[in-house]
Amino acid sequence: MSSRKFTETLSHTLADWRVTPQRNPRFRTAVWARLEADRRPPTWAGYARAHRAIVAAALMAAVVLGAFTGRERARERDAAARAALVADYVHGLDARWMRHP
Amino acid sequence: MKNLLFTLGLVAAACALSFGVFYAVNREPAAVQQALRAGDAMAWLRTEFQLNNAQFAAIQQLHEAYGEKCTEHCAAIMAAQKRAAPSAEIAALEKTCVDAMAVHFKHVAALMPAGQGERYLAIVLPRVADYDHRGAPNVQVHH
Repeated sequence: MSSRKFTETLSHTLADWRVTPQRNPRFRTAVWARLEADRRPPTWAGYARAHRAIVAAALMAAVVLGAFTGRERARERDAAARAALVADYVHGLDARWMRHP
Repeated sequence: MKNLLFTLGLVAAACALSFGVFYAVNREPAAVQQALRAGDAMAWLRTEFQLNNAQFAAIQQLHEAYGEKCTEHCAAIMAAQKRAAPSAEIAALEKTCVDAMAVHFKHVAALMPAGQGERYLAIVLPRVADYDHRGAPNVQVHH
């Protein structure tokens, strides 16, 4: 087959070709649904994904801050109670304190 | 805005949870805490320095014996003050009291488990110097 004849055949075939796609009755609804979804505020998961670096950093900082302050507060509290008890214990055995009623 | 607020709430909750966990984990053991809360020096000694029953009984006995000596020192100091004795005499009586206390604490430390005695002395000896005439103590040492 010559090149010219091939081109003519192809042109006829393309000219005769008709596409008859099946109608999707839900196409319009689906498009509107997607448009509506974009208009709605994002879910928290979507928000977190969009700001993942900031959210992760804030959570990490909160955990570290909570851990540090929790540990310090526990130690301070026990240290204060211990210091008071030790002072009472030692003073209770100290005759110099006993003359001050 | 709602998501931002929710995120801030989550961050605050994470901080609070972390605080709570680390606070609980870093507190003293329950027995020590109880002794500290009750202001019970003997219970504190027992738990803080991990005394067994024999060690605790021996230390309790030492404290009771020292209590009598302490009362004598106290009476001597008060008598000297009452008769307006020279300050050198009062200072000498106070020194006797301080020396006796230091010896007593060393005896107590010697009865403690290895390593605990040094820790005990490091805690109590600096307190002997902590005398600033602020008032009388209230301690549950003598049982």
